[in-house]
Amino acid sequence: MSEIMETPVVQEEPASDKYKTLIVILTVFTTVLAAVLAALQADASIRADIANRDSQYLAIQASGELHRSGLEANYEFTVFGDYLKNLQESTILQLTALEQEQKGDDDAAKASNELAAIAQARADAGIKFSALFTDPRYAPAGDDIMPNAEQFIIDVNADSNEIVAKQNEAADAYQRWNRKADSYVTALTILAVAFFLFGLAQAVKNARMRLAFAVFGTFVILFSLLVSILTVIS
Amino acid sequence: MKRPNWFTSRFEVINAVLIALVSLTTAFSVWRTNVVGSDAADASRQGLIDAVKNQAYENENYRKAYEEAGFAYQYAVKEAEVNALEDASSAEIRDRGVNIRQYLLPNMQLMGQPLTTDEKYRNADGTYDLEKRLDDMRSENTDPVDPSLSFKRADSLFSQQRWLVIGSILLAVSLFWLALAEVSREGLRTIEFVIGLAVYLIGVLWFLGVEVIFFLVRRGGA
Repeated sequence: MSEIMETPVVQEEPASDKYKTLIVILTVFTTVLAAVLAALQADASIRADIANRDSQYLAIQASGELHRSGLEANYEFTVFGDYLKNLQESTILQLTALEQEQKGDDDAAKASNELAAIAQARADAGIKFSALFTDPRYAPAGDDIMPNAEQFIIDVNADSNEIVAKQNEAADAYQRWNRKADSYVTALTILAVAFFLFGLAQAVKNARMRLAFAVFGTFVILFSLLVSILTVIS
Repeated sequence: MKRPNWFTSRFEVINAVLIALVSLTTAFSVWRTNVVGSDAADASRQGLIDAVKNQAYENENYRKAYEEAGFAYQYAVKEAEVNALEDASSAEIRDRGVNIRQYLLPNMQLMGQPLTTDEKYRNADGTYDLEKRLDDMRSENTDPVDPSLSFKRADSLFSQQRWLVIGSILLAVSLFWLALAEVSREGLRTIEFVIGLAVYLIGVLWFLGVEVIFFLVRRGGA
């Protein structure tokens, strides 16, 4: 007599399609968001590159302008100093001549006067070369005998200051766009996690697990959205 | 019983072939976008190198111009001194002036050349035209490169890269929809396939449009 052994049949739970449409919609939304973020990241990165280049170019220009203004100021103040020296020499020699005249030494006074005239000739020749005396912006006006050297220094450094201000703006723009580009990368990285969660949600057969992964993924998307919005408005 | 039509029965194969094609197109688009970005970075770098070279030339021009201006100034002052010496009533002083004019002034004039020797640099008031001298120095430079040309090219390439990125994204989106059509159930897959195909065609047209427009813009600007 044979005994028929009945093997227990394990009934597999039929795979449910519940929430699958929701997962598809979330995945599509994540894809669109990732595409927008990728475009924003590329744009921010390009803007950062351009601002970085501009800041370097302006730094080169600023150093050149500083070099030029330094040479100009050095030349002008050398000529100015030379003029003052010759003028004082002439004045001192004229005073010497007066003293010598008072002492009755006319020959010495004449020689001193001639030397004073020579020093004055040097001063008169030199003054033509000085912007501090020929440029109406700095030339002594009214009872003044000294030129407006302060205004000259301000003007001679004006261009370099303007370039440095632009360079600072470009450097700030670079920092700002670079930070944005980095933040977009962060948001994209977070989105990758959402993609992974939705992929898992598609793969699992249990509807409740699918929903759980979808909810986790949605939180991740919301966090990524928050990072993105903060980056856009920053 | 409803028999599946030709398209439905071969859908998966057709879609798989299209996915392969879209993948290749996306890869090509991403490669091209990176090449354009790399060219833009190269042009920017070249512009900066040109800017450094030009600035170095310009710095040297200014240094030389002011050096010559200093010597020319000394010469002009010494010449005025000699004129005053020669006008003096004392014979000893006049002799001093004559000797300085004969032996010292020519050497000082050589130090200040070409400002002191070339009449084109002399102003009516006896001073020297430094701007003209600087212009001549700049024209003597046989290797001047305007960095703005490289920067303009870099900006154009950066702009092209920006638009190509959008094309690459469109292609990636189409790839996603086609992949979705491959795994979806029968009801949805046709719509997903059509969306994927439409986005792919838009992406390809976008890519080609961007390439043609920037080619024409750059050729027109050259």
